[in-house]
Order: sequence, then structure tokens, then C-alpha cells
Amino acid sequence: MAPTISVQQLSKTYQVPEREGGFNAAVRGFFNRKYKDVKAVQEVNFNIEQGEVVGFLGPNGAGKTTTLKMLSGLLHPTSGTANVLGFTPWELKTEYLRSMTLVMGQRNRLSWDIPAADSFLLNQAIYRIPDDEYKETYKELDELLELEPLMKKPVRNLSLGERMKCEIAVGLLHRPKVLFLDEPTIGLDITGQARIREFLQEYNKRTGATIILTSHYMADVTALCERIIIIHHGQLKYDGGINELSKKIAPFKLIGVLMENADEHDLSQYGEQVENMEDADKKFIQVKADEVTRITSRLLADLPVRDITIADPPIEDVIEQAFNA
Amino acid sequence: MFLIFKRLWQVNWAEQWQYRANLLMYLLYWLVSPIIYLAVWTSIATANGDVNGFTANDFITYYMVLLICDQVTSNIVIHTFGYKIQDGSLSGELIRPIHPMLTNALVNNVAFKILTMFGLTPIWIILFFLFQPDFSSVTLTGILLSIPAMILAFLIGYLQSAAITALAFWTTRVYSIHEFYFALILLFSGQFVPLPLMPQVIQDIAQYLPFQLMLYYPIQLILGNLTTPQIIQGYVMTGVWLVISWLIFNWVWRKGVKKYSAVGA
Repeated sequence: MAPTISVQQLSKTYQVPEREGGFNAAVRGFFNRKYKDVKAVQEVNFNIEQGEVVGFLGPNGAGKTTTLKMLSGLLHPTSGTANVLGFTPWELKTEYLRSMTLVMGQRNRLSWDIPAADSFLLNQAIYRIPDDEYKETYKELDELLELEPLMKKPVRNLSLGERMKCEIAVGLLHRPKVLFLDEPTIGLDITGQARIREFLQEYNKRTGATIILTSHYMADVTALCERIIIIHHGQLKYDGGINELSKKIAPFKLIGVLMENADEHDLSQYGEQVENMEDADKKFIQVKADEVTRITSRLLADLPVRDITIADPPIEDVIEQAFNA
Repeated sequence: MFLIFKRLWQVNWAEQWQYRANLLMYLLYWLVSPIIYLAVWTSIATANGDVNGFTANDFITYYMVLLICDQVTSNIVIHTFGYKIQDGSLSGELIRPIHPMLTNALVNNVAFKILTMFGLTPIWIILFFLFQPDFSSVTLTGILLSIPAMILAFLIGYLQSAAITALAFWTTRVYSIHEFYFALILLFSGQFVPLPLMPQVIQDIAQYLPFQLMLYYPIQLILGNLTTPQIIQGYVMTGVWLVISWLIFNWVWRKGVKKYSAVGA
């Protein structure tokens, strides 16, 4: 079976007008406008199968959102092809638009001046959702996201998190087969984030929908995605399992040692010392995975160790190393 | 499809009500120039007896009907849509399975019109008592013929304004281009001066332009001043311009969407 999403050599170059500040530059720019090419996405390739949940990671400006915008059809690429559910997204075919959703930012499907309930009903009509199916979907969404108390208020009076909940819900009314979620938990408190995560997991399990999401919260990615795609400077840096990432990019372990008179002992001869804010009592060193046993026994033999821990480095650090690789 | 328009209507109607004070201001601004033309031309005609055969009552009836036709055939799509392309808020609408310009924005314009009608009615009645026009030439047939003509002329103007609005995909600043288009309407539609008072050259050109279909043609229909061949010619022109405007809009829109850069968010 063909993959649900298939992307080949996808590239997007923005032409950005460029000029220096100041009056003279403004006049010059009027007559002779200079453009700078910004390569937002460069020759990216990947395939995503039906039912996968994939996390797009990368620092700001890496090209994640540009890629999502191309896959949802908002942007035409400069070159390359993409195929989602058998459609070329940017042709904006009605059939395609009915079977996917893009949740992006806070102002998307909801009209600010009227209660969310009206926007929900409008979307029911736009996506031609039969009444009984609409009621059922709404009930499910309400149970998971507690929408009912928010429905009657004008959207402009909702808080950031409340609006995000409504945006996600309204984007899922038509039960899309493919979900593009750009920062779906932004602005939510911890409980809200967890609830959205559970909800997406449940939705994916129940409907077999394919989900691509970007997030700055690592917890989103680790909880939801088995596979991650790392994009940096518009290029694909890593595509694979989240567990393999640390092995591949950073085959290190963190050894934490709790000692008497810790300040008197220098651990730099055993491995690179690293800071760890969560456990200030311990000293941490980073060592290669295959040297863990050797170095641990040396530490235990040489030093007055009271406690020792061996752990994987935090995923954030691993990914940061991946960006810089 | 009907349900879509019904729900779009509910949403847009509610939205327009939120801005009713704003709407009233807009309406007053909109009415200032035709009312000035009405007053100026009427005083000139009263002083001179007539202007090239146009009596004071001709001017009064012409501009009183113009106020209504203008209300029906004009549109504000440049103001309600242009910014969405510029600031990227079009994104959400672009990936909905309905055409943003031909559904939501269209309904929005109609809601705006109907709401401003409430504002226009009392003003029109006041003007009626002030100027006491003689509407004896108006016929029911003329009124009935003018209604489809005005609706189609509205669509022509809407598609043309929409095409100009869609230029925002390239330039991001389209208001000045639209102002130029608006000046053409003012000159060739018969708003500034009733067309028969224009130099012959302009009348000859205006005859083939779409702008007179928005005002001059329906006004003359209502006032019962047209012969049967003239009525037919007007409807044929309306059909031709509707097709041309549709093709232009569609072409610009398709090209433009490819240029869309979905800024912000």
C-alpha cells in the first residue's frame, strides 16, 4: 500500500525583500528592490504510513511550519513533490480538504466576534457532517476537552488555552484522516497539555488517523510520537525512532555520583563533567555508552561513593546535539 | 450547499451586528457624495430652468433612485478581505473545502448591505420629503426588470473588486489600485454626472464599459426611460461582462493562491 504521506525533494525558497534602514535606503529600495533568497526547506524526503504519529522537531525558523503548510496545501513549493492521501495538497481539491485538518495558532477556524458554538455549526455545514455524526463527535470532544462551558462565550473573551481547545476541537469535527498540528499544546497549562496529548493518542488509536505535529514541549513528542523527524536549516537531519535517536546521535550515558566532600574530588579524568540542575547534590559526567561499566567500577574503586546512578541524557540535550551535528 | 450559506449567513449577520455603529458611520460617509451631487445639480437646474434638457425633477428622481441602486450594486470586499491576504489570516479559510471569496466573503458583503439598508431607509424618506420628487414615470415592469439587473451588476462589481483584492497576493497593498478602479466607477457609472450630460466621447465609451450597468442602466430601467432594444442591450452587456469578470477573477485568484505566502502563525 502506498504511504499516506510521501514527500520527495520538497523545497521552498522565500524571496524576501531586503534593504537597510534609513531614508535613503528606503528610496533606493523603491526603485531597485533587492531580494534575498531564504531557503526555508531544502530537498526534504520522507514517507509516513497510515496511523503513524510523527513529531517534527527543530529550532525556530528550521522549516517545520513551512513543511506543514506545504503538506496542508497552503503553500506551493518551489520544487519537489508531495502526495497526501493520493492528492497533491496545493491543488486544494475539495476532497482533500475534507479529509485533513491543519491546526495552527490561535486564530484559524473560530470567528472572534461570535460564540464558538456558531463557528462549530458553520464547520458542520462546510464539511457536510450529518447531524447524528456531528452530535456524536461533539460529545466525544466535549468529554475529553470539556468544551461545553466555553461554547456560549464570544471567542475573543476566551483565554489562550480555552481558545486552543476549541481550535483543536473544531478542526476535528469532520474526523480528518490526516492531522497537521502546529504547536497544539502551546499556551496550555500542564493539565491541559496532558489532556490534549491523551486525546490525540486516543483519536489516533480509535480512527487510525495519521498525525504530524510540531511542538516545543518535549513531553508532547515523547508521549505521542514513536518516530521523529528533525529539521534544521531547512534540511532533514534525522528521521527515525525516538529511542534510536539517542543511540545514533548521542551514544552517551550520564553517570551521577553522590560523594562525601564532593568538592574535593575532580571527576574530569573520568569523563566530561556536565551540569544537572535537577539533582544538584550529585556530580554528573557524560561517558560513551560502551565505557559505562569500566568507568563505573573505577569510580566505585577510587572515590567515597555513597550513591551512583546511570541514565540516558535528557532528550532535549540529544536533540540539541542532533541540530549541531 | 444551502446549509453552508445559511450558517455563513448566521455567522456574518451576527458579526455585522457587532459593528453596527461602525456601519452607520460608513453608510453616512458613503451617502455624502451622491447627496451632494443631488443638491448641487438640483440647484443648478432650478436656477437655469434645465441643464441640457434635464429638469430639476429629473435630477432629483435620478439621484434618489441612484442612492438605492448604489446600495445594491456596490461592495466592500476590498475592506473585508484584503487584509486577510496581507496578514495571513486567510490561511484558515483557504484550507476549508469552500471557496473563501465566493462563499464567506460574498455572504459577508450581502449581510453588510442588508444591515446598511436599515440605515438608508430613514435617510431616503427624509430626502423624499425634502425634495418631493415626481416619480410618475416609474413603472412596476421597470422595477421588476431592474432587480435581476442590479443583482447581476452587483456580481460583476464584486468579481472585479475581488480580482483587484486578489492582487494583494503579489503587492500586499491594493487600496490605491482599488481607488483608481473606484474613480472609473464614479466617472463612467453616471454617479458624478448623469451619463447623457457627459461629452459624447465619454458616453460612447461608457456604453461598452461595465460601470454604467451598476448605476445608470438600472436607474433608467426604474425610471422607465429605456426602449425595448435598449433594455435588451443592457442585459446582453450584463451577461457579457459577468462572464468576462468571472474569467478575470478566476485567473487572478488561481495565480494568486500559488503566490500566497501564509505569513504569520
